[in-house]
Amino acid sequence: MTTVQARADYPLVAHLLRRAGFGGTSEELHDLASVDYEVAVDRLLDAVDTTSLPDDLIRRYHIDQSDLRTLPSAGSYWIGRMVTTDAPFVEKVALFWHRVFATAQTKLIQGKVMSTQIEMFREYGLGSFRDMLVQLSKNPAMILFLDNQDNHRDAINENYGREILELFSMGVGNYTEEDVKECARAFTGWTVANTDYMALKMRNNTMRPYGYIAWQFKYDESDHDDGEKTFLGKTGNFTGEDVIDIICEQPDTAAFVARHMYHYFGADELPVPQWPHFPPKDPEAIRVMTDAYFESGYSIKAMLRALFLSESFKAEASRYARVKSPVELVVGTLRLAGGYERPGADVYRATAASGFMGQDLLAPPSVEGWMGGSDWISTGTMVQRVNFASGVVGDLERPGIRELVNEIKAQTGQDATPKALVDSCLKLLGRLDVSDETRSGLVAFAGHGESSESASPDDSDKDHQIVSILQLIVATREYQLV
Amino acid sequence: MTTKTGTEIKVNYVDTVGFGADVGGRGFHLPVDLSVRSDGRVFVINRSPMHRRGIRVGICDVAHGWYGEFGSDGKGDGQFTSPTAITHGPDDRVYVADEELNRITVYTPDGEYESKWGEVGSAPGQIHGPSALKFTAEGDLLVVDHQNNRIQRMSPNGKYISSWGKPGFGEGEFNLPWGLDLDASGNVYVADWRNDRVQRFSPDGEFIDMFGVHGNGDNQFNRPSDVAVDDDGFIYVADWVNQRVQVFDAGWNFQASLRGQATVSPWAQEYLEANADELDARSRFNPYIEVDTDVPHEVSARVEAFFWDPIAVEIDPDGRLIVADSLRHRLQVYKRA
Repeated sequence: MTTVQARADYPLVAHLLRRAGFGGTSEELHDLASVDYEVAVDRLLDAVDTTSLPDDLIRRYHIDQSDLRTLPSAGSYWIGRMVTTDAPFVEKVALFWHRVFATAQTKLIQGKVMSTQIEMFREYGLGSFRDMLVQLSKNPAMILFLDNQDNHRDAINENYGREILELFSMGVGNYTEEDVKECARAFTGWTVANTDYMALKMRNNTMRPYGYIAWQFKYDESDHDDGEKTFLGKTGNFTGEDVIDIICEQPDTAAFVARHMYHYFGADELPVPQWPHFPPKDPEAIRVMTDAYFESGYSIKAMLRALFLSESFKAEASRYARVKSPVELVVGTLRLAGGYERPGADVYRATAASGFMGQDLLAPPSVEGWMGGSDWISTGTMVQRVNFASGVVGDLERPGIRELVNEIKAQTGQDATPKALVDSCLKLLGRLDVSDETRSGLVAFAGHGESSESASPDDSDKDHQIVSILQLIVATREYQLV
Repeated sequence: MTTKTGTEIKVNYVDTVGFGADVGGRGFHLPVDLSVRSDGRVFVINRSPMHRRGIRVGICDVAHGWYGEFGSDGKGDGQFTSPTAITHGPDDRVYVADEELNRITVYTPDGEYESKWGEVGSAPGQIHGPSALKFTAEGDLLVVDHQNNRIQRMSPNGKYISSWGKPGFGEGEFNLPWGLDLDASGNVYVADWRNDRVQRFSPDGEFIDMFGVHGNGDNQFNRPSDVAVDDDGFIYVADWVNQRVQVFDAGWNFQASLRGQATVSPWAQEYLEANADELDARSRFNPYIEVDTDVPHEVSARVEAFFWDPIAVEIDPDGRLIVADSLRHRLQVYKRA
């Protein structure tokens, strides 16, 4: 396995920024490449958001992002956060959990409870997996999404009891049907305040008379089955939290969560439903993370740190081994473009664009989330991806693009060769590596643009030549990968 | 800092007017400002970037009368895209500000389009983000030109007269001001939004005093969005992020803090009676749950009766305080005892 040196290794740091964030500007790359790789990893993992637009500003200009009632409003709020934060890893982790613990506004109707769930992912997404599962089980959006309000001591509804085992922790094949029922019994009484009214408003899909009321977790002791249960070989009067403790002790849980992490931060894996039938793509990466899981007392951050420091993550072969999700593409491109000191309408267009590309934020297609990988790419979605990205990088009014173009001109000079222009563009677009074939095509395009210009192109001509190259780069296969 | 006088007034809850109507019709959707015509009819601006069909001005009264609506989303005459403020002139003409189009549109007292004016910029007479409108006793229009951090005095047809204010946090300086009102003497009160205070000026724009610091205690504000002054000089401040309305006397002595206590309006009751399942479920509904958060915005999201983003306050001809309870699509009405 080929590995690379750490310090000042721009391609490796660019790889890290693409996976642990949404790519990086040349300045961000330079900062992280100037320190040891391990320090760079810790900087990204420990970053705290200081630059997101404050809620009061957002709410003043986008009142719909105050009640967050609808999907466009709630999705746009999140996109805005992802675009403006200086702690992108936190948002990337929230996106990861949103994919694993897939919960959809399409059933819940109100976007506010989804946004609250995402906020919970920000708060607990890098802590203890045990704490995360407890919070998830108490999360009102999850409770109503998986019908736990209908899970009663005298009449269980096993939906949540099944999914916490099948999709959220252990995976199919590692528990019995009896475990599912006992798990459901342990979660009886975990509901929301004003259960009947809230569930009815959700079913009736109406904000009348006075808008949606946000849900709040409620433990109804009178509806909890406090009887003896046998779960995964242990017997006791288990509560939901006891069941989570037992789940977290299981090696299968560590391996399943690690495989999810590899699937998202490492390389595209098989779709989750196939996991019971096929071994992980990279068992060594899974081992490194499961070791970290138990050594750290179930720390999610420790698992991801172990992954990012692993030889398999750093290897050349792991780079560009995933297809960018629509959200990654949209956010990464907008972060390059800059100009978000005040709330704008861009976030709505970006949210819609992500949907056109196949990823409606906060509305995954099923409880299994998005399949990802090559599923992201079709003729239609590819057109959407290219149109969006080329539209953004082609807009010289955007301060980030203006700055990018100026930097390319400064680096290459007035008489730059097509090859120098292409190299500079690739470098400043996050150190994008492209195949020789792609590079040849880009250089030919850059040269063609040059020959069609006048003998002494003015500054505006140069700007547009560079912008055209940038637009072609974001249409390449490589820009679709991460 | 003022202290309590021990003789605070009482401000009593009167009624709730409204109903969530996100695509038009009787009711409101995300109301952001209101103005009361001389006959007591209340004109309410509804706004949302994502609910374009709901953008309009609705007309009602505090006795639950409904008198239709006018205006729609767009850039044509009589339309608006991001309406922020509404007021009535001395002749009851209606003036609506749009912070995206940077223009003021003038309507007849019944909402028929008449004219429009406004040009974006920072030169005298140009506007950038008009966020509040009020007429002076002399018939001039005061415009909170919020992105320029100033107040401009204009003629009703948009001719520049004078202005005051600049960016900053000193006396007479603003940080994205929002609402304003005038007292019986013509003094001007401005909700200096991001400075968390209200500033008071003479009718000519001379600084008199300012009140408030950032916080959530009595006498403190968190992003005050509007201010209203009644005939006796009592001051009502929409303490937006704190989800309350604070009341002061003319000397800034704290009088009361209103958190909202909405009831089911007749329009809402009609809806519930037409939906028996909801009426039944609501009969077992506990409106005042014990919330597990102390963040005012989140508390309001969970307790329907409370204000949720109280964005605008106005005093009607009978001295009633009308609060635009924006995220609950209704008005809550109070009156000083």
